[in-house]
Amino acid sequence: MIQGSKATYRIRPQARLCWLLLAGGFLALWPIQRAIDRNSEGLGVHTETLYFSSGRALRDLSLGHAGLLADIYWTRAVQYFGRKRIAHARRFDFLAHLLRITTELDPHLLMAYRFGAIFLAEKPPEGAGEPEQALQLVRRGIVANPSYWRFWQDLGFIYYWDLKNYKMAARAFKTGSQQPGALIWMKAMAATVSAQGGGFQTSRLLWSEIYRQAETETVRRSALAHLAALRADQDIRELNALVVRFRKEEGKKPDSLENLVQAGYLKGIPLDPSGVPYVLGADGKITVGPHSKIDRNLLFESAYQPRAHPQMAKRR
Amino acid sequence: MIQRIRTIALHTFKESVREKVLYNLIVFALLLIGSAVLFASISLGIKRIMLINLGLSSIAVFGLLMAIFIGIGLVSKEIDRRTIHNILSKPVRRFEFIIGKYLGLLLTLVVNTAIMTGGFYLALYYVERHMGGEDVLLLEAVYFILLQFAIVVGLALLFSCISSPILSAFFTFCLYIVGNFLGDIRWFGRESGSVIFEKVAALLYYLLPNFSDFQVISQAAHGKGVPSYLMTSGSLYALLYVTILISASILIFEEREF
Repeated sequence: MIQGSKATYRIRPQARLCWLLLAGGFLALWPIQRAIDRNSEGLGVHTETLYFSSGRALRDLSLGHAGLLADIYWTRAVQYFGRKRIAHARRFDFLAHLLRITTELDPHLLMAYRFGAIFLAEKPPEGAGEPEQALQLVRRGIVANPSYWRFWQDLGFIYYWDLKNYKMAARAFKTGSQQPGALIWMKAMAATVSAQGGGFQTSRLLWSEIYRQAETETVRRSALAHLAALRADQDIRELNALVVRFRKEEGKKPDSLENLVQAGYLKGIPLDPSGVPYVLGADGKITVGPHSKIDRNLLFESAYQPRAHPQMAKRR
Repeated sequence: MIQRIRTIALHTFKESVREKVLYNLIVFALLLIGSAVLFASISLGIKRIMLINLGLSSIAVFGLLMAIFIGIGLVSKEIDRRTIHNILSKPVRRFEFIIGKYLGLLLTLVVNTAIMTGGFYLALYYVERHMGGEDVLLLEAVYFILLQFAIVVGLALLFSCISSPILSAFFTFCLYIVGNFLGDIRWFGRESGSVIFEKVAALLYYLLPNFSDFQVISQAAHGKGVPSYLMTSGSLYALLYVTILISASILIFEEREF
């Protein structure tokens, strides 16, 4: 109500009630929604819904905006994978479907094939542990983008690291090396894998090349971490051999690496690539020290067993 | 004649820019384009692709809404307000009125698209911190979006001559949807096994505006330019279709009594 020259605004009782209901209503919505969300989380309703199962159908329904939908689905796949990985889940039921829909919506979204294959191929909890699905995804990528030679590199890596099928890995590297624009390294890799199969030298060659080709700092750092782990592995293997020799020749188990130094087997306590001394574990095996910066997940226990996928570098 | 068409077009433009819905749509579009920067950050490896897809799609969707919501009232509003009598009592021929109205709205859309494209390039520059030849290629996609708008405005104008604004909006939107599924309709016709259905589907395929010819956003996002044959044929197609729509609008409007 406006009175005289000095304007005063008086809220009518009905309006006051309406404002009260409005504010109160919104405030009351918050705990109710939170309660619903809590229950939904328990049931996994939000995270485990696909909505659409066919990328081709979605593409038709997108009215020319399939690219945008593909981006949304790719983001959904990344978020899904991230959530599962944080939760140390061992099942990634929808990952392959989300990636298929993404790549059907946009067959030229190269990142979805490359990173998607990594997500699928890695062993749980690092990934879905479905290397066959990863192979299918990369093969679809090759069909849709025949001139992109790096898919052959990815195919070779999956065969090499995840399936340990060195024959197929060598074949993939060789086919990739014949594609236009492929780096000469692919040919060398094909020959090395074909001749040596899985081995430290081959792994070192792989990671050195990844380090050399790295386009981002993250990839470079990860390649360095893998190279350091490989060196540590080799050191551990040699030190374990020394421990066995010590036991045989001295007739007793060493308590620590100092025993080996005192007995003249070592000139000093050896340091790992991060500069931290190796230690002799209670089980009589050499391992990296507790303060070592070497990623333990990248170390191999005894015999050579490739674990991590080189392209994982991009998300480490 | 050209002077009269220009005057009507400019008046239509001035009238359109007074519409509040226009500013709301522009603000929404710019907000969405800006938010693409945030969306891209929760994804992986597709920052640029996502920004381009979201930016260009925003321009296309919001421009389409502008074309429909403003286009549907182009003629019917003049009839409702009875201002049509004033205009036609002056030495303005009916076809000049229709062409002027069409060009006026098209100009509005060109200006708005330019504003949205400016916002889009700002967002792109914010993310990339530089501009290159690849970014200039994105203008080809914007051009194709404008070609779509040209046809949609023509459709809205045609329906505005024969129907109420609500029905005009409904018909225009439906035709836009159908125009995106023409390939499927033709395919269904072929697969049906019925000769009549196949012929009808083929007729619809050539008769209705084929909006899927202008879908180049995804291509642009991957840094691929529009092939020159598509550039020429797409432009010709839009020009021809607009001519057909304006001719039909003029025919209807000429016969209409107020």
